[in-house]
Amino acid sequence: MSKKSSKSKHMIEVDLTSMIDVVFQLIIFFMFTSQFGELRRTEIDLPHQPGDETEVHHEPAMIIDLTNSGTYIVESVETSLIEIERLARAGVANQDVADPFDVLVRPDRNASAIHLDRLLLRLSNTGVQRWKLATVDGGRGS
Amino acid sequence: MSSAAKKSKRRSATLGALPLTSMIDVVFLLLIFFIVTANFAQDEHKLPATLVTEGGGVQSNDLQPQIIQIMMQGATPVFAMGEVAVQDAKSLESLLKNLPKEPGVAIKCEPDVPISAIAAALQAARDAGFQKRSYVPSDG
Repeated sequence: MSKKSSKSKHMIEVDLTSMIDVVFQLIIFFMFTSQFGELRRTEIDLPHQPGDETEVHHEPAMIIDLTNSGTYIVESVETSLIEIERLARAGVANQDVADPFDVLVRPDRNASAIHLDRLLLRLSNTGVQRWKLATVDGGRGS
Repeated sequence: MSSAAKKSKRRSATLGALPLTSMIDVVFLLLIFFIVTANFAQDEHKLPATLVTEGGGVQSNDLQPQIIQIMMQGATPVFAMGEVAVQDAKSLESLLKNLPKEPGVAIKCEPDVPISAIAAALQAARDAGFQKRSYVPSDG
């Protein structure tokens, strides 16, 4: 009995608590930094449609939010159509065949088509040929 | 000091103090981790379409796409294809299923139509089996 206790006295005690603390802090840091793209999206009442499930998951080059009142938001910042056109023109100029410049429009489902049309006309002037409409599940036709 | 108090003091000395600080640290970190990783946002889907402007985009040797015109009748959007008009996306889908798929379908709408109706038309075209779906923004 006394031998055993003297043996344990010689063993080095490894305190893992601090290491676990640091590891978790690192995990949280990386989780936060990798989710910023998603967090930047404005909360919008999107059209309720199941969408195209066959669509390959691909991050769009540009995401434009369209509010019910017809405001255009890019990266959480209210943006004019002139500025959107300038950004799209730069994106189209830098696109390549393997990765064409595409735009995701996240509209409020009750917004009028005129706001979408104004935006898409500007985009077509810059040479944008493909666009995607964001939807959420939750029953068709609404 | 009474004998009961002496007994309890002796017992606590034998057990030793349980260090809870580190455990609380870890529990809180776990809590924060799961709050951060939980996805509260709704899953978003996408409806792709090509962008065609009036008078452009379709070349002379291309087949002319069939046009879905969306207009408002009172407060309800109506989907019209030539002479036929339907009021809901399901009927539009049934109508589109009977049409040839090769020329594709183009969607046009009046300025006051809600965007939900455009999404419904794009979804109906997709569900009816149309690979070529385009949207024609009006400049009016």
